[in-house]
Amino acid sequence: MSDSASPRDPGPRTEKPRYARWLAVAAVAFGAGAALAASVSSSLAMTLLTQAIITGVLATGVGFLIRQNGVVSFGHAAFYGIACYAIGLALRHKVMGAEAAILLALFLPTALAFLLGLVIVRIPGVAFSMLTLAVGQAFYEFAMKARHATGGEDGFSINFPSRIFGVSTSLFQNPHSMFLVSWGTLVVIVLALTAVSASPFGRLTAAVRENEERARFVGYDTLLPRVAVLAISALVVAIAGVLFTLYNAFISPDVLHWSLSGSALIMAIIGGPKLVWGPAFGAIIFFFAKDVAGDATEHWQGIIGVTLIAVMLLLPAGLGDRLSLLWRGKAGHA
Amino acid sequence: MPELAIEGIDIARPFGGFLALKGVGIAVPAGEIRGLIGPNGAGKSTLIDVLSGRAEAWSGTVKMFGADIGGLSVQERRKAGLARSFQRTNIFPDLSVIDQLEIAARKAEQPNIDEIMAELSLTALAHRRAADISYGDQRRLDLALALIGRPKILLLDEPAAGLSIKESLDLAHGLKDLAARWGVTVLLVEHDMDVVFSICDRITVLHLGQVLAEGTPGEIKGIPEVVTAYLGSSV
Repeated sequence: MSDSASPRDPGPRTEKPRYARWLAVAAVAFGAGAALAASVSSSLAMTLLTQAIITGVLATGVGFLIRQNGVVSFGHAAFYGIACYAIGLALRHKVMGAEAAILLALFLPTALAFLLGLVIVRIPGVAFSMLTLAVGQAFYEFAMKARHATGGEDGFSINFPSRIFGVSTSLFQNPHSMFLVSWGTLVVIVLALTAVSASPFGRLTAAVRENEERARFVGYDTLLPRVAVLAISALVVAIAGVLFTLYNAFISPDVLHWSLSGSALIMAIIGGPKLVWGPAFGAIIFFFAKDVAGDATEHWQGIIGVTLIAVMLLLPAGLGDRLSLLWRGKAGHA
Repeated sequence: MPELAIEGIDIARPFGGFLALKGVGIAVPAGEIRGLIGPNGAGKSTLIDVLSGRAEAWSGTVKMFGADIGGLSVQERRKAGLARSFQRTNIFPDLSVIDQLEIAARKAEQPNIDEIMAELSLTALAHRRAADISYGDQRRLDLALALIGRPKILLLDEPAAGLSIKESLDLAHGLKDLAARWGVTVLLVEHDMDVVFSICDRITVLHLGQVLAEGTPGEIKGIPEVVTAYLGSSV
């Protein structure tokens, strides 16, 4: 049964995370974003880009759940919207300062996802997706009905103080500067999630995704890792919610609606959820396709739908995956 | 008499609409390789499931080295030294061989990855994705995941299923050698009688959820009821 390798031979080992390379790629990516912001003078284009990047953060959170837990959520708009409303309501009712409200906006969805996860991650497949949809829509309905607190369907504007964390609020509401803030945040999130995926925790959650029973039989509790992935995913989505609120200073129940979760899912699938950066890439493509198709026809959703079908049939791992393969092929030939 | 490593006392367990185990008793002394044979539907895999904690017994007691482990989870049983392989290959298909062995090793007191890879001829496959290696290699990987940490008791559910005759016999003799060197107790469910009769110290025969017979390979071959119920003219 044994082969020629000596038991004392240390043998091959899992590749160590390449932090230096990741940091270099992140620095280049941030530099490219800064160059783009400097070169594009159109506020309209920068607004579109900023919205795409903020939604890219949202899609990255949704994609992380698919990548690490292998499940699809139709309710992540709840975590996004709760972050938005946490800031909006705290400032509207003068409960706390903007900084504390932002921290609360990050904490609340993460904690909710963790507690909810203790129950719902036990449910497999489609049933999980339906539960997330139900939970998400419950929050949407609540925001619609509680008019006295939330402004109902009309939503409400948020009056931010002139400075947040010592930074002028106008910086968050200018498309050029907010693009840089959002892009920088996205780069840091992708970097962090790449490190998490390559860590022992990331490998364990991938193993649980692949074969939960085997993971239990090699000695692991499989519930908490899956709950932790859901919480991390919700935290990323909450960050997107904070960015959205800072940029728009206006919220309505649309930020809680399942169609936002669905859009994020489409972006993740178009970009490729197997890659940490894939969903954000998908968000950028989605926004520009939407913009171009929207100029051509009011039925732009049809074009997005056809694009989604084409990607799923021809490139089931997403456009990002194909791009990655092309890049690796090119690098291999270099 | 050597200490009993694993014991199932009066185990009853339903499967589908019928009783798969009807008061089964089995006691395997430490260091022994025990074969568990019987026709399809006899309750062999169900017994392995109950002993390993995958399925709960309706009634009866499961003991490991004299201690009742009926209330322990799968993970706690593994920590106590009880490991198993599965009838269907049960690995992490999208992970490399080394990645999954390292994951298993993190839960082991003796993370003997290199030793296991060498024992099971997996060293050259370390960085291959598990889904891309051959079926025989996947079966050995399944076994490797069970062997990480040098368990005290190994429950093997048809480890040779789907392997060629040569692969089966190689695996069997490798197992026997490993069990002797490590002092591990093995309960082996297997349909390949060449494997069972060549490596098992004793054999328990299950039939319709009950123990039909128990004895050494030589004794089992000589029991007419066993020959009628299961062996036929194969031995």
